[in-house]
Amino acid sequence: MFTRFSDIDRLFGTMDLLRQRLDNLYTDYGRPYGTRWLMDEGFLRANLYQSGDNFEMRLEVPGMDKESLDIKIQGNYLEISGSREQNLPEGYKVHKTERGAGTFSRSFTLPDDVDSNRVEATLKDGILYLTLPKSEAAKPRQLSIK
Amino acid sequence: MEKKTEIAKRNDQNIEKTRELYEAARMVDIYENEDEILLYADMPGVAKDELSVNIDNGRLSLSGVRKLETSGAASWEEFGNVEFVRNFSVPQTIDVEKVEAELKNGVLALHMPKSEEAKPRQIEIRTA
Repeated sequence: MFTRFSDIDRLFGTMDLLRQRLDNLYTDYGRPYGTRWLMDEGFLRANLYQSGDNFEMRLEVPGMDKESLDIKIQGNYLEISGSREQNLPEGYKVHKTERGAGTFSRSFTLPDDVDSNRVEATLKDGILYLTLPKSEAAKPRQLSIK
Repeated sequence: MEKKTEIAKRNDQNIEKTRELYEAARMVDIYENEDEILLYADMPGVAKDELSVNIDNGRLSLSGVRKLETSGAASWEEFGNVEFVRNFSVPQTIDVEKVEAELKNGVLALHMPKSEEAKPRQIEIRTA
């Protein structure tokens, strides 16, 4: 019976340890086959936040610069595409290539229409920050009581 | 190895832990040539100050903490605050003094030069 949270923490710690051991077992064979359990995979993962007049969007885009990203907005449809180059240096021998390369695209349907003229996008530390102001019709309105 | 004893032993002085960061491993590329080992690691959202690279006795550990500021109500969230952790064994021949790390667009590039003694050497054959 668990009486304290630290007991549960320890239980999960033991499971993590087992998982790491198993991972090490597989990584001995070249390809990191076993790490898929531990890998935090997926590309162009996105968060969407709503605050009154704006949508705030965050996307994970590691290794992409602003030239290689493309953002399209129409109404409430948002499409982000990008490409990442394999930065294989000349004359090097490859040990592991897990990081993907190529072109990526993802589209979203936002809950409301967006004023595409005032959208702002910034790129910092491999995260794309989008500020999407809602269109006038979609903005919340203050009602006065008569 | 330390962790093992830590788990097995119940310590009554253990203070209840507050919420810990979820640990995750991210993808890496590792290349090598005659002069150096080159490692690329994805670290999206990790600021320079939150990233640590440790080489100790043939063990390289990377750790990057991502703390994102959020505002407003979340409609959907596919990623969050996380600690990117990954450990590697590196040869003892790495010249630790000369290791260079560079963080660009959320990707860490780690140059680990090999020490002079470890570089391959061409041996000239003399005729007697």
